[in-house]
Parts: sequence; structure tokens; C-alpha cells
Amino acid sequence: MNPYVLATLLFSLGLGTTLTFASSHWLLAWMGLEINTLAIIPLMAQHNHPRAIEATTKYFLTQATAAAMLLFASLTNAWLTGQWDIQLMSHPLPTTLASLALALKIGLAPLHTWLPEVLQGLDLPTGLILSTWQKLAPLTLLLQLQPMNSSLLIILGLTSTLIGGWGGLNQTQLRKILAYSSTAHLGWMVLVLQFAPSLTFLTLIIYLTMTFSTFLTFNLNNSTTINTLATSWAKAPVISSLAPLMLLSLGGLPPLTGFMPKWLILQELTKQDLAPAATLAALSALLSLYFYLRLSYAMALTMSPNNLTGTLPWRLLPSQHSLPLAISMTASLSLLPLTPALTALFTL
Amino acid sequence: MSLPTITRLPSARLLSSLLLHHQHHLLLPSIAPLTVPTRLIHAEYRRPGKPKENLWQKINIDFSKGMKGIKKNFTLLKNEFFDRWVGPEGKPILEHMLEQNRVVWEFRGPESLEHWTLSSDREVGGQSEVYLKLGKNSNTCFLYGTLNCTPPRDGETRYSGYCTMRSKQPLASFDRKKHHDWSSFNTLHLRVRGDGRPWMINLATETYFSHQKDDIYSYFLYTRGGPYWQDVKIPFSKFFLAYRGRIHDTQHPLWVDKVNTIGFTLGDKANGPFQLEIDFIGVCKDYAHTEECAYEMYKRNPEV
Repeated sequence: MNPYVLATLLFSLGLGTTLTFASSHWLLAWMGLEINTLAIIPLMAQHNHPRAIEATTKYFLTQATAAAMLLFASLTNAWLTGQWDIQLMSHPLPTTLASLALALKIGLAPLHTWLPEVLQGLDLPTGLILSTWQKLAPLTLLLQLQPMNSSLLIILGLTSTLIGGWGGLNQTQLRKILAYSSTAHLGWMVLVLQFAPSLTFLTLIIYLTMTFSTFLTFNLNNSTTINTLATSWAKAPVISSLAPLMLLSLGGLPPLTGFMPKWLILQELTKQDLAPAATLAALSALLSLYFYLRLSYAMALTMSPNNLTGTLPWRLLPSQHSLPLAISMTASLSLLPLTPALTALFTL
Repeated sequence: MSLPTITRLPSARLLSSLLLHHQHHLLLPSIAPLTVPTRLIHAEYRRPGKPKENLWQKINIDFSKGMKGIKKNFTLLKNEFFDRWVGPEGKPILEHMLEQNRVVWEFRGPESLEHWTLSSDREVGGQSEVYLKLGKNSNTCFLYGTLNCTPPRDGETRYSGYCTMRSKQPLASFDRKKHHDWSSFNTLHLRVRGDGRPWMINLATETYFSHQKDDIYSYFLYTRGGPYWQDVKIPFSKFFLAYRGRIHDTQHPLWVDKVNTIGFTLGDKANGPFQLEIDFIGVCKDYAHTEECAYEMYKRNPEV
């Protein structure tokens, strides 16, 4: 793509999210979300492949629907309460509608069905932007909504963790696995939203770090299926040894970073007398862990049948910059001891 | 006063003949329709000259057929549910990872022929014929017939003469569309015995927009006429994108994670009999083949 066009689109993406961060008026926030949607559309469709165009169209339709619902919710709120402030939404109807609209925007179950197909049609870097950057703005708005209907958020959260776990179980395409993983993690975030928003924020940041390193690893190995992942030992052996740990971190195993949000969320839910919800969420994390474990197994514990006749790729000079991957992988593996510092840092 | 009962309206022909004779005097009831439709279901466009078919005679409404359908669909649903616990596509993950060859279509009994649909230009009024039967010892399928390139005389068709065999779309429980997922493979492997004629292999993938419905990836299959079997391996990167026979300007690599149907077409403008014997159709993974798309796209317009 022309570098000027690419720069314009990336800046627009940044502008959209920043607008939403900085706004207290619903219309400005909605505008930021729309700028984000429109800016990522050319990025998704740049390869012109029919599947990419299909993914772009599905993404646009769902995001436009969600934006329309959000606009309708804010209009209803303005009608009922006479003001457009995001944090002063006090009527349950527009709050519920806005929550559902934002759930559709980020891909929470049961409004998640678009996410696997859309991610599958994209290449890995664009999928990375979709899974990480595009979640920031809607979650910011969700964080600012006053919780009116506590059971809605808990139902959305539990459904997302369960469906994220079950749906990803038999996938062999890595992008679909990451889509279901995204749904599951967002479910955890939304479960604790009304009790401790700072934990939602912490989970979001840790999820972003882990997903960033996962996408970059898959991009470096140029792998989009489990089978191609299994041949990655010849490409970069160090990454092939660290990436399974990173995947287990995504699954929430101690002593890796991914355990931190799950532990704190379960603790908070128990404190709020929601022990059954906590149990169900913990059990559904096992489902997700299974497919992360399967990916780790394929990557590190198997020698895939592969007759490479030429030089093994790891002997050649690396073709991609791996500094961002190094930083994010370190962060996604070793931040658990810093839990108190991070909890204090992300307290809203 | 009893309402007048209309038990049987006069047919259209009778009414029109009445109209012709008594144009000024005929009083038709204004509420009743002018004609009784004799065909309530319109299947497809009926070309002029084709005999009218009475669809009611073809429909078989039967309780046992309904029960068989219910049993089949619920069995498929149960299998789908329990296959999940085994692994992707019902196989354990190790088996999925180690799979390098897979036979997708094999012709070992009469039920294997039900997965295939035949068509020829007889549908548009031509005179080609195509038939499918099991070969000797029920080991192969035998596609044979006669190609006739005489165009149908309907004033608009200029070229004709094609015969094709296409696989049916795989269906999950309750007739939902299912796709072949060949993402672990990169080559199509066939074992055929032809008669020297060039065939086209067409792969139809899942599309989204209605204008992409007839987007098909094709490649050629040149058969040798001998008594010996021919092993044909075609990488998926060689398939080019065409729409109803017209090759697309912008070519895209074939994504094999959602393949719907495979088809074999003969259209080599040579009148006469043809035959093609297929032993099996499979897919395999060739690790030495790393090409993604054989067709480069050159920049034609200045890049924006």
C-alpha cells in the first residue's frame, strides 16, 4: 500500500480511539468509533482477495449496526434525561441498549458470531489491529457506563467465556482460535466490570500484550494453521520454545502473567458473593486452556513430518524486526510478581 | 339466500375462446380470477420446445420417507456433537497433524455415485449426452457419453457442446452447508484413465456475494488415451479464477479451507463419444511445493 495512504489510515485509527477516550459527549464518542471503523476498512480490504472483501463487508455491517444501536441508545438517553453525558446515563433502557451495542462492537457472546469469520479472512497484521486496537474504544465506553442491569453483564461475561472456550475447541485455523480466545478474554473483562472496573482495565492491558505477542509470533512463523505452526521449530527455535509459554499465559496458568487477571477477578467475584459465577468462569477457562495447550503441544512437543531439503531457515538472517515481539513476550511471561504494582497502577 | 358456489372455474382457453366470440356480451364474475393457475410451482425457466412437466407427479409425500429423514438428520447431529469431543473433523489432533494424504472421493459402490450430479448441454437444448456408472469390479466410476457441438436452435445460443460431472455440496445435519477443509493440503491428486481428451477440473469455493456465485477455480486435465492409469497431481496454486467460463482479470490464490464442489467438464469442441474413468480423487501435501499462486498480478494502473 502507498505509505502515505497507510500513514493516513493508521493515524485515523489512532484519532478515532483518542477521540473516544477524550469525549464525554455521546456523539463525539460515537464519531470516534465510526472513524475507527471506516479507517480500518481499507486496511482490511487491501489485498483484494474475495475472502478479505467478505471479511471487510461482514465487519462493516456488524460495526455499523452496533454504531446505529449506540446512537439510538444515546438519543433515547437524551430524550429521557435531557443530557448527552456518557457517565450520567441513568435510565436502564438506554444503558442496556448501549451495553448490547458495545458488546456487538467487541464481539462478546452471544453477539460474537462475526468475529471468527472476519478474522479468518484477514492477514495476521490486520487481524492484530482488529483484535487489539479496535477493542480499546468500545471498552472505554463500557467502563464509563453506570451499571444498571448487573445480571446482563454477568450473563454476557459467562456466555462469552463458555462460548469462547467451546467454540475454539476444534478449530485448526489459528485466526479462528484467536477470535474465540478474544471472546473468552472479553468475557472475563466484562464479568467484573461493575464491581471493579480497574480489574477490567488491567485484564484488557494484559490481554492486549499477550495477543500482540501471539499474533507477532504467528506472523513471524508465517503460520495460519496448526500444521504450519508445527513446522515452526526450523524457523526460529527460541521463539518456538517461548511461544508455548506465551500460549499458556493466554490460558491463565500460573506463574505466567495471564494468571494475574483471572486470579484477581475470581477473588473479586468471590468477595461479591458470586461464587457460582466464579466457579463457572474458572471451569470455562479450562476449555480455553485445552486449545492453548493443544497449540503449545503442536508447536513445541512435536517434530512435524517435514523434509526440508534446503538450509534450515533459522540459519539465515531474520527477515522481520523482532524487538516489539521481544518486549511483549517478556511482558506476557514474567509480569506476575509485579501484581501489586500493576494493580496500583491501573486503579481508576 | 345462498351464495352462488363456484366449484370449477372454466379454464383459460375456454374463457379466451368465449371472449373471442362474445366480446361484448360476456359477463364474468368480478371477484373470481380469470384463470386457474395450472402450475403453482415454477421450477426453472422452461425453454421453448421443452415439454411441460407436471411437478405434482414427482413429489413423493410419504410417512416413511419423513421418518427416514428425521433419523438421518438426528444421526448426523449426534455425530457432530460427539465428534467434537474427539478432535477437529472427528479425528484426534495427532491424526489431523500427521495427515498428508486424504482420499476424498472413492468409487466403491453404487452409493458413491449419488454424490455426483451430471449435466450436459441438453439442459439448454443441445444434443450431448452424459452418463455415469460404476466401472468394472465396482472399483472406479465411468463417465461416458457423446459430445455434440450443434448449438440449439433458439436464436440466441451460438456455441454449445459440454458435459460435466459435479460433486454435490456436502451437507451437515438438517441440510446445512458444510465445506471441505483442505487447509492441510496443497495438491489435488487424481487417478484417471481417459481417452486423450482435455478436461477441465473446476473447484467451487464458498462465496459471500450473490455475484460471486459462479466463481470457479479451474485447471486442465490432459488425459492420455492409453490402457494405463494416469496419476495426476495438480497443486492448488495453479488453479485460476474464472466466472462462467470467462477468466477474471485479477487472479486470487485459491483458499482451500472452504471448498464446496469439484467438477469435471468436457468442452473441447470435438463431436463424438468420450469416456473418463476415475479411480479416486484425493488431496495431498507436497512439502516441496511452496508456491501460493501461479499467476502474478502486474500493476496496470498507477498505484494510488
